[in-house]
Amino acid sequence: MTSEYVIAAPVVAGVAARAAAGTAGVVRLEPGLRGLAAALVRAARDRWTGLAAAPAEGVRVRTADGKLTVEVDVVVSGIDQAAAVGQAVQRSVRREVAAQTGRTVDAVQVSIVDIEMEAR
Amino acid sequence: MAVNEDYALPCGRDVDTIWDRLDRDTDEHDQDCPHCRTAREGLLALRSATRELIDEPDPTPPDLLGRIMSAVRAEVRRGQMLDLASAEPGGVAVSTQAIAVVLRYAADSAGGVRARRVRVRQVGVDAAGAAQVAAELTLTVRLGNSAGAETLARVRELVSAAATARVGITLVSLNLLVEDVYEDGE
Repeated sequence: MTSEYVIAAPVVAGVAARAAAGTAGVVRLEPGLRGLAAALVRAARDRWTGLAAAPAEGVRVRTADGKLTVEVDVVVSGIDQAAAVGQAVQRSVRREVAAQTGRTVDAVQVSIVDIEMEAR
Repeated sequence: MAVNEDYALPCGRDVDTIWDRLDRDTDEHDQDCPHCRTAREGLLALRSATRELIDEPDPTPPDLLGRIMSAVRAEVRRGQMLDLASAEPGGVAVSTQAIAVVLRYAADSAGGVRARRVRVRQVGVDAAGAAQVAAELTLTVRLGNSAGAETLARVRELVSAAATARVGITLVSLNLLVEDVYEDGE
């Protein structure tokens, strides 16, 4: 018997979003206009199905030529070095997606759209 | 339908063109260009979202305006991204606006000086793949500051240190333009 498991992109996105948001130095994920549009669609769908899907705003999942790429948009804290936080997000997304879905992420592209400095 | 009169993507195409071609076949450029692909996906998501919302007569979600404005601000900040060094597959990029925030904060912390405009642009790429950056800060200095030269030296030191320690980029040049003076209590 052969069996195949298919892990859908929203699952990867949900896991990746949670991994990225939980990385030290990340203040929040930044959805952008496209993420907002997707979130509105999801909210509408949740109302029909009665299920609340895991938030994945700020995360995009692409598959091209069999390669899985995750793009994450984040706001980081100015206390830590942005480059180091970015790398930590890459590692954490790859690790969590592999652990929770079994899928290997080929590349994680992190975009730091803002750095929040502490108030003076 | 006109989405935006003159919103050109970095590749030279404008969003109007992409909107018009949304239902037509994509050409080679559409498929290869990351800017066009991103814009296209965004417009498709937006179109399906608006259609579903029109079909769905429920009240609009709370704080919709706030969320739209925050999303718009994020899009603007995303404007220009510079690469940071990363050993992991993929990449890490930071917006020039985010770098400007860090540099301005560092300059302000020198005391006796306030940063106004901060311009950041990429001038090259270092061995690790990180952007090399040239920055220009416009400053106002406090009136009666007898140690002006020292203050500027401190600004220079703090700003360069912040670029490395807080962002992870190297400043290859830093120009300070003192444009104005202010009085205490201002």
